[in-house]
Amino acid sequence: MGLADDLLEDARHLAAKGDAENRDSCRRRAISSAYYSVFHLLVEDFVANWPFAGQRARLARMFNHQRMRDASFAPEDKRSPTPVETQVMDVITAFGQLQGDRHRADYDTGWKLVGTDVANAISLAETTFSKWRAVRGEKLARDHLLSMFGAKR
Amino acid sequence: MYLPSAVTKQPEIQAAIDAVETNLAPEVVRIRYEIGEDWSGQWAIFFRVVLTDEAAKRRLRDVASKVIWGLARQLDFPALGVFPYHNFRSVSEQEALQEPAWA
Repeated sequence: MGLADDLLEDARHLAAKGDAENRDSCRRRAISSAYYSVFHLLVEDFVANWPFAGQRARLARMFNHQRMRDASFAPEDKRSPTPVETQVMDVITAFGQLQGDRHRADYDTGWKLVGTDVANAISLAETTFSKWRAVRGEKLARDHLLSMFGAKR
Repeated sequence: MYLPSAVTKQPEIQAAIDAVETNLAPEVVRIRYEIGEDWSGQWAIFFRVVLTDEAAKRRLRDVASKVIWGLARQLDFPALGVFPYHNFRSVSEQEALQEPAWA
């Protein structure tokens, strides 16, 4: 298992601990870990294809959270996206949602988060893992990952 | 000052919300929304979705996914100039917190 899978598992553990101990800090860390699991899922996938193993960690550090979120994508036909386009759009939406939730969880102490917020973050991360892994080999998905890295279209 | 077109298209947004609420009742109890800037300063639409306790506890993944897709099918968020955020809570959670924005 890589870092991404470990972080997702950590998110589940933290959520359970947060519930068992009614501990807000654990719930917040669970949401944050759920986001970072997806972040590293995408980054690991990108750098794994870089042929120089010794440079992969440095390459990974070039990813920028906001640039990843803002990478543009539009299906060929908005009214009728293909199954792969649909999966990629779901990944994009989930990534943005998780990133926003992570920011609130880490910085917004006024956020009255509830159990459903935590459950939804983990559920979104789990679904995103499945969806990304189903399309990761598709040209369209690889192109979008390159856009998330910062390449212009 | 730049304002996204979503600001002037609130009747269409409300119509889409009404349709999703109707289609997904009774599990979706109500949907509220707000247009504003997110943590990064980007314009966003924040949907606040109240679910039945049963839906929130046992069918969250399925219902949340239907809400997200139901709204996305009817609202072209890039054209509206906003990024969509969807947050969910159960009736019981809202009753405990009593937040007006979710009422």
